[in-house]
Amino acid sequence: MSLAVTLQELKESALARIALATSLDELETIRVEAVGRKGVLANAGKEMAKVAKEERAAMGQLLNAVKTAIEAALEERTGAFTAAALEQRLDAEWMDLTVPAPGVKPGALHPVTQVQRYLEEVFTSMGFAVLSGPEVETEWHNFDALNIPPTHPARDMQDTFWLEQGNLLRTHTSPVQVRGMKRLGAPLRMIAPGRVFRNEEVDPSHEHTFYQLEGMMVDREVSIAHMLYFMQTLLREIFQREVTVRLRPGYFPFVEPGFELDIQCSLCGGAGCAVCKQTGWVELLPCGLVHPNVLRAGGIDPAEWNGFAFGLGLTRLAMMRYGIDDIRLLQSGDLRFLNQFR
Amino acid sequence: MKFSANWITELVPGLAVEPRELGTLITTKTAECEGTEAYAPFLEQVRLVRVVDVKAIEGSKNVYATIDAGPLGMKNVVCGAPNCRAGILAAWVMPGAELSGGKKIGKAKVSGHESEGMLAAGDEIGVNREHDGILEFSEGTPGERLAGIVPDHVIEIDNKSLTHRPDLWGHHGMAREVAAITGMALRDPVPQVSWDGAPVLKVEIEDTELCPRYSALVFENVTIGPSPLWLQYRLEAIGLNPISNIVDVTNFVMAELAQPTHAFDADLLKGETIYVRRARAGERVRALNDEEYALDEQALVIADAGGAEAIAGVIGGRPTGIHEGTKRVVLESANFQAASIRKTSSRLKLRTDASMRFEKAQDPRNTVRALARCWELFQVVSPGIRMVGGLIDNCAPMKDAPVIRLELDWLNRKIGRVVERGEVVRILRSLEFGVEEAGAGVLTVTVPSWRATKDVSIAEDLVEEIGRMIGYSSIPPQPPLVPAAPPAASPEREFQYALRLQVAAQGFTEVYNYSFLSEERAARFGFAEAEHVHVLNPIASDQGLMRVSLIPRIVQNIEDNARHMGEFRLFEIGNEVHKDGAGAAGGARAASGDGASDGLPRQIPHLAAAVFSKEGDGQAGLFELKRLAEVVAPGVEVERADEARGFEHPKRVWRLRWQGEVVGRLFELHPSQCEAGRGAVLDMDVEALYRLKPAGARHKALRRFPVSEFDLSVLTPLREEVGVVRSLIVRQGGEQVLGVEFVRQYTGAPLAEDEKSVSFRVTVGAADHTLAAEEITAVREGMIEAVKAAGYQLRM
Repeated sequence: MSLAVTLQELKESALARIALATSLDELETIRVEAVGRKGVLANAGKEMAKVAKEERAAMGQLLNAVKTAIEAALEERTGAFTAAALEQRLDAEWMDLTVPAPGVKPGALHPVTQVQRYLEEVFTSMGFAVLSGPEVETEWHNFDALNIPPTHPARDMQDTFWLEQGNLLRTHTSPVQVRGMKRLGAPLRMIAPGRVFRNEEVDPSHEHTFYQLEGMMVDREVSIAHMLYFMQTLLREIFQREVTVRLRPGYFPFVEPGFELDIQCSLCGGAGCAVCKQTGWVELLPCGLVHPNVLRAGGIDPAEWNGFAFGLGLTRLAMMRYGIDDIRLLQSGDLRFLNQFR
Repeated sequence: MKFSANWITELVPGLAVEPRELGTLITTKTAECEGTEAYAPFLEQVRLVRVVDVKAIEGSKNVYATIDAGPLGMKNVVCGAPNCRAGILAAWVMPGAELSGGKKIGKAKVSGHESEGMLAAGDEIGVNREHDGILEFSEGTPGERLAGIVPDHVIEIDNKSLTHRPDLWGHHGMAREVAAITGMALRDPVPQVSWDGAPVLKVEIEDTELCPRYSALVFENVTIGPSPLWLQYRLEAIGLNPISNIVDVTNFVMAELAQPTHAFDADLLKGETIYVRRARAGERVRALNDEEYALDEQALVIADAGGAEAIAGVIGGRPTGIHEGTKRVVLESANFQAASIRKTSSRLKLRTDASMRFEKAQDPRNTVRALARCWELFQVVSPGIRMVGGLIDNCAPMKDAPVIRLELDWLNRKIGRVVERGEVVRILRSLEFGVEEAGAGVLTVTVPSWRATKDVSIAEDLVEEIGRMIGYSSIPPQPPLVPAAPPAASPEREFQYALRLQVAAQGFTEVYNYSFLSEERAARFGFAEAEHVHVLNPIASDQGLMRVSLIPRIVQNIEDNARHMGEFRLFEIGNEVHKDGAGAAGGARAASGDGASDGLPRQIPHLAAAVFSKEGDGQAGLFELKRLAEVVAPGVEVERADEARGFEHPKRVWRLRWQGEVVGRLFELHPSQCEAGRGAVLDMDVEALYRLKPAGARHKALRRFPVSEFDLSVLTPLREEVGVVRSLIVRQGGEQVLGVEFVRQYTGAPLAEDEKSVSFRVTVGAADHTLAAEEITAVREGMIEAVKAAGYQLRM
């Protein structure tokens, strides 16, 4: 039997086995037996020496062609098996992502923290420093320095929690005006958000613990016109819309003149409704030009410097923003309430 | 404070402003109007009538009356009043009227008879509070409206906005504002009286600081009876209860001039001298409200030879008060120190119409004006009354009216727009300030006495007078010129906020808790009462202490929320308050934002976080909190605490050490504190965290040579801590050891029951070469030796 015939048979037999193979392993066995270093094709190659010289080139070509054909068949089948295996794996890896993700969901910041932070950013962008002051305050900082002498009826207006040694729980964030002036000197722009206390019975709209944000600006020239401009700008940022404001007289010993600032009722647009008690206006914040006695208490000469100051009710703003109708929820620690603000 | 629009209009003749609009004007220029309400609008449909005939109705106590309504004709009404009789003048409510409370009056069958409207009792038409019979009038023409009893409006002004304005506690003061606002003339209701005759009563004032002025009049031939109905109606409209003619006049004058007065029955006063003095300790006064008050030496009293008869400026005494049989009256009109009245009134918890006014610092020049007005009205309400002797007036020297220099340029810069000189002068004069020219652009302004007691004293006060009267809405907003400089940084605040964000991102929800604690709760947590700052006037006894720890409230949060949820996480950042304040560094200083120590208690911000779970053995929660601690304090280490507090699980309590300092504590709640499940609590000192937080990171060159790893497994007793074994290995390491990482621990077969295997992965390397096998082995051998020397076995 000529080598040519043998090669042809080898090829056919290998191709037939490849076609029938059912696994990658089987293919590998075929590969080793057919085209491996010690395989049948290699053995056949050894026969080449016996082939007549003039036929050798042709026989060599045939050998290579057989090898290439077998290898191509192997590769094709291997590829098919690999693809099938991958497909099977992928199919097996079907999963359900509607199952909740493991791990803990993020918590929530308190609504007052969120409103406070928003305001701090607005004020910082307008060049205001953000200051802190102690919640346990001296009587001097809370009253005397703010032009509220011991006999002043304004001390009646604020029901104070008194502590030992004449200290008290600050009834407003205004004492930070004086601390801020001492720390920063003039000119200055500052706010002081924080917790304040009033000796009041708690009900859905009253709390003995609540939050304010004090603001103050001191400079050479500060007028009512400047304060109006600033308040309009600020309130536009807070409410994210144009607001119409009005000033009317208000009495606070630490400012002179003192004002109540009202904003036009957003519900009725000023026409008058139940929310604004038919007046078209909603009282928003007290403000005024800083009383010279307060500037003096802060170590600033009122002959050279002027200022305005204002107080925002953070608690009230938070209640307005989130539609909270019971102030007691804020200090309740009730996660069913607090988790709504994630 | 309620104002009658009719009354104001009488004092500003010709005023033609709608009451609601008047309220708005007052709000924008003077004081906050809380509302304007029509008072007795139905009086449009009430007429004076004469009862001409009364027939009894069988089987009813009602009578069938025929009334003469003048031009409106004869009408018939059914009336149930016992005083309904022929001949009297009465008030007839016409059919179609709607009384207060929505009660509609029409033609109706009553007791079988048709009644056209009704005859009114005092309380039905807002004249007084009488309901025993119908009103009877002494004069008038049938068919006409009731004289002086016409529809009114009540303008309610927020008392708080009148705190600084003693003059606005009377209609005359408010009318002055209205006149100034509208540019109209103000009428002074006080008559000129010439006070002839010698005083018949002596007044001795112990301390003229407390009572700068005491004026009085004595009257005889007084007849006590009801006031004229128009007077009763006026008082009723502004919420004052009509009592009797003399008393009603004193109340009327108080509501008009803001000066309280008091009428004594002169025959019940003992002796000829009135003493204004401090009360003797324990002295008692039975007051007109029929309460008895025990006074201390700080209260001021009006006394006679027999003792205290009235609490000065607050309330009169019952024994010397006006009664039906009073014939002679001593009328007091005095001025008292505001602070003293305020103190007495708040100590007695007795706020009266008089005390509210005196504590605003009334004008001492007003006492005699009030007497003159009372004398005028007494003659109306008690015909035949005679004054005995002249004016009694004991008066300390009065202060000169303050004079303020007002520079117009300064004024304009304060307001932010130019106000013409003429306008400034006009406004100040309309408010009865004295104005003199004092050179170019300067005015000399004299403050009227009723504004000088405390309200107006400096030029800034005048800015308010001008500003409010030109109208703040006339000032165009103007951007301020300010330095273009970034604001001073507040790194502590930023740190705290970043902390909040981090903790929330780890799954914790922020709570706000009260700063107060009850003594009972403090005791439950083993915090001694003495270490707390006490609240001297707590609202409730459960709020008597300032918290020295956030934990008790956090535990309360756990208890509360465990009722609704099986698992949750929460946190708070808030201040602890510690007594040891004076001179102490740290807390108060950092928190107060200024360098001064004010002797305040230390206020230290703390982070308290908690994990609660109904299920499980509690370890997961503790690990979560450990992780949280590592997030906020990278590299923090736990070390077992030597002693557990009563509320801590004795085997699950650790200190947190960071950069060598103890910065907090981590523990599981003792089962007795948390019956619903497992509660783990983390408590960290935020001030310390801020102080110790590392400065910004610096870049280190990446390692050029590869590192190698090997594992070590150590057999230890079950309760040996992984951290202890690890630090043993770390200590042995040397500079080639780059990391020793815990891999796992294992108990069970084939290990003995009382031992466990702890595996670590050690990473070694060098900066300048790749470690040779012998070098790695040397490190490993060293570690194995150290482990064995410590008494552990190596697991191969």
